[in-house]
Amino acid sequence: MTLPASLDEAVAALEVMPAAVPVAGGTDLMAAVNKGLLRPSGLVGLGRISELRGWHYQDGHALLGAGLTHARMGRPDFAALIPALAASARAAGPPQIRNAGTLGGNIATSAPTGDALPVLAALEAELVVAGPGGARREIPVSHLLAGREMLAPAELIGFVRVPLLHAPQVFLKATGRTGPGRATASVAIVLDPARRGVRCAVGAIAPMPLRPLEAERWIASLIDWDGERGLAPDALAAFGEYVAAACIPDHAPPADGSEAPPLSPAVLHLRRTVAALARRALGRALS
Amino acid sequence: MSGDAATAANATSTTLPRIDAAAGPGDGPGHEPPLMGLGASLSPADARAKTEGTFPYAADLWAEGLLWASVLRSPHPHARILSIDTSAAAAMPGVRAVVTHEDVPGDSNYGRRVVDRPVFASELVRHHGEPIAAVAADHPDTARLAAAAIAVEYEVLEPVTDPEKAFAAEPLHPDGNLIRHIPLRYGDAEATGEIIVEGLYRIGRQDPAPIGAEAGLAVPRPDGGVEIYTASTDPHTDRDLAAACFGLEPDRVKVVVTGVPGATGDREDPGFQIPLGLLALRTGCPVKLAATREESFLGHAHRHPTLLRYRHHADADGRLVKVEAQILLDAGAYADASSESLAAAVAFACGPYVVPHAFIEGWAVRTNNPPSGHVRGEGAMQVCAAYEGQMDKLAARLGIDPAELRLRNALSTGDILPTGQTVTCPAPVAELLRAVRDAPLPALPKDTPEDDWLLPGGPEGAGEPGAVRRGVGYGVGMVHMLGAEGADEVSTATVRVHDGVATVICAAVETGQGFTTLARQVVQEVLGIDEVHVAAVDTDQPPAGPATHGRHTWVSGGAVERAAKMVRTQLLQPLAHKFGMSTELLQIADGKITSYDGVLSTTVMEAMDGKELWATAQCRPHPTEPLDESGQGDAFVGLAFCAVRAVVDVDIELGSIRVVEMAVAQDVGRVLNPAQLAIRIEAGITQGIGAALTENLRTARGLIRHPDLTGYALPTSLDAPDIRIVKLVEERDVVAPFGAKPVSAVPVVTAPAAVASAVRSATGRPVNRLPVRPQAAVVTPKG
Repeated sequence: MTLPASLDEAVAALEVMPAAVPVAGGTDLMAAVNKGLLRPSGLVGLGRISELRGWHYQDGHALLGAGLTHARMGRPDFAALIPALAASARAAGPPQIRNAGTLGGNIATSAPTGDALPVLAALEAELVVAGPGGARREIPVSHLLAGREMLAPAELIGFVRVPLLHAPQVFLKATGRTGPGRATASVAIVLDPARRGVRCAVGAIAPMPLRPLEAERWIASLIDWDGERGLAPDALAAFGEYVAAACIPDHAPPADGSEAPPLSPAVLHLRRTVAALARRALGRALS
Repeated sequence: MSGDAATAANATSTTLPRIDAAAGPGDGPGHEPPLMGLGASLSPADARAKTEGTFPYAADLWAEGLLWASVLRSPHPHARILSIDTSAAAAMPGVRAVVTHEDVPGDSNYGRRVVDRPVFASELVRHHGEPIAAVAADHPDTARLAAAAIAVEYEVLEPVTDPEKAFAAEPLHPDGNLIRHIPLRYGDAEATGEIIVEGLYRIGRQDPAPIGAEAGLAVPRPDGGVEIYTASTDPHTDRDLAAACFGLEPDRVKVVVTGVPGATGDREDPGFQIPLGLLALRTGCPVKLAATREESFLGHAHRHPTLLRYRHHADADGRLVKVEAQILLDAGAYADASSESLAAAVAFACGPYVVPHAFIEGWAVRTNNPPSGHVRGEGAMQVCAAYEGQMDKLAARLGIDPAELRLRNALSTGDILPTGQTVTCPAPVAELLRAVRDAPLPALPKDTPEDDWLLPGGPEGAGEPGAVRRGVGYGVGMVHMLGAEGADEVSTATVRVHDGVATVICAAVETGQGFTTLARQVVQEVLGIDEVHVAAVDTDQPPAGPATHGRHTWVSGGAVERAAKMVRTQLLQPLAHKFGMSTELLQIADGKITSYDGVLSTTVMEAMDGKELWATAQCRPHPTEPLDESGQGDAFVGLAFCAVRAVVDVDIELGSIRVVEMAVAQDVGRVLNPAQLAIRIEAGITQGIGAALTENLRTARGLIRHPDLTGYALPTSLDAPDIRIVKLVEERDVVAPFGAKPVSAVPVVTAPAAVASAVRSATGRPVNRLPVRPQAAVVTPKG
């Protein structure tokens, strides 16, 4: 176990020990180690890298350190900047997990139920990845989550670049209990008044967050961006249905022209849940 | 969780919990609760250590030069074992012993109730997680890796996972697939009612999910025997089973009971203890085992998943005429407590209601699902959810208030159960039901609810006030106390007094139920001695039986009382003789012995005169008899009742449910310790809410899906509602020591039914499956 003090030192440590695993909060990694699923030959601890634990501003964006904990992101000053990310951080588990788990870790683990992921997808966040020799490159978060681009050996997620939109954002999550639990479905809605856009991502129902792009464009066209911005309940409900049907489509009809088999009751319930979450989230964002 | 929750809560409660003013005696005006003896809210002696985290559990034990054990478990629910090759594991550096079925010197099978379960699977694997082999090594990781290096060749077989198909399936076990069948017949089969309602109910697999996973330390003895330190709840039975498997006389094996980190079922399963002792005997070294959470879920018994079909007949006034039911318990691979669970399920299938005619068929069958066993309220809890569902259905059909319908049918003392047994104990069912019905309802949330209304889904959840419906439902439940059907319920206790200090020696295990505190209170009450210690439990003491069915409050508490009274007589006899009066006319209080008129007085120390007084006594309640071939018989020593009114909020679009309040009225006989009593009820209600809403150990084709506490969702503090104890009925049960009834099980039995009833009332949906799935609590707009 090494404990580098800067991002470049951490990258250098990974270069020296290619088999070592970087560890930040350890909330997923250590659970896997304790279960015997993972036996890292070495660890590079990221906890001492102070540059990763805060954020700074750059061209209308916030550069969020990958070491920001959920607890830190849940605080009101952060919520004023990126409300949906703060809401997802507050919903991310019990206090013990939120105190340790980090933004970068949530991305690196890429669990389908990672609460920050649909928010980052809706924000179209970019990852600033640090590589050997002080190299920096940017990857859209969606590319990493979809496996279109991967982290190379000895690369680390350093920062997450998120636009500051100065507009309402909502993150909603359905769980099985009142206490902290994994999402059965989650929805992030982000308004972008400057570009007159609504961006939506649905989490936990697929291996990566899903973006219903057509539904986004359709609903954005209905909104009076210069006026009240409100929508009729019917329009909100239609948006919810649109998002849900896009993310959980019906079975394709078989080639022989017969009727497609119906979705199972559990899947239909999930679709209704996504519709209700999307409708509520947009309603709250526009109210 | 409740055992732990209760212990933790015990530890912190120094003040009286919320019990409404109307609740019990001792709370009345001008009636200060006592500071010691029966009726006092004495705190557990280990409360501080448990709160501070210094209390040692089995997982904290250590011995010089100890080895670590790891158990290889089957990854298949049903498979033939073709070969087991341990050579690679045995050759690994640091590995000291590898044992399989070939290394069991004595009996190859064990079982606390039915000996039908192999220590290690030899030819056939019957459930996911069945032990195949065990390893002892000098490091826990080495042990785990070595266990993984054991090569087992399986021929995977089709698992039988549907209990309805078990009847016709090939036998999974030499004993056959039908573990027990009870066809209860009571009354006239031809009787019919004007109104008939039918229902099909499914109850899921609740796990006891103790917060402390299984652990133990086995230490070989110089005489060739072994000592096992573990959190056993039935140490003498476990000793006998282990000795039989080791091929040793029982006196060569000693089970020493450590702190119990949560027990709402049996622990520790002998399937953990026997391999551990075997490895210690084999290596001659102390061996420690600390199960992972996954092993814990795979290795212990669960509540029986149950399928119930009901038909209730009633007259136009809602009075029950006949109940017909079929009850199918999924016992999993081995019998364990299935026979007793089935007896309870069949006997209580109609609930605490007067039913003139009852025809109940019950079966417990073997499958390749995870083994089911004793989890408190077993059998009774599953049928309660079903018969209360039927009562709701009947009330809806007749347009009668659900509480009123239940009142019209309420059982009372002197009525006859469908088993033909007359209810001789207090049965204040109507009084309990009225108490919860008449308790004020919790306030509705204010107009601006976001700030102070915890919506279903939690504080950061998706709940929307406009989609939330509130529902109120009722559950009335009953459970038997002590072992049933002729079980020899006996306990032995010793009380010693010396130098003004009393010691209780009794092998009743403190599981969080409060036995050690009760034992101190009993001695305080009888002998007036403030300082009472309770000795740690081991099998060198006389047996006290398993810590189940509230029996230690009754039989072990009773044994302690008798022993204390014998010491009292020894102490007072010489004085009584000197004063010329009987011992009954002398009182002991505050270290003084005083005559009834206050004229004669001496101190306890003086009367003791440096002597040491000992007495040992037994308590054995009146015998019971097995249910006969038509389900008839006086099978139960006593019954306990409880009524619960649940108030829930349901988000009818998402189907998320939050229990807002549970109002409880319980038949307790007598309040022995108000603080502990309230904690036990709160813990039981919370466990019941888990069974109602989230706790279901899911399997897919016999494989346990999520053996961890993320996948198996226990109620958290946010899921636990306000639990209001609105009434404790203290009608003393004359046959019970102190007149007190055990209290822990009946809230677990009743709470799930009440929650389901409240969800029904909020949504109008049938709710016939527990835990309630979100899609069953959704109200779809028309169309």
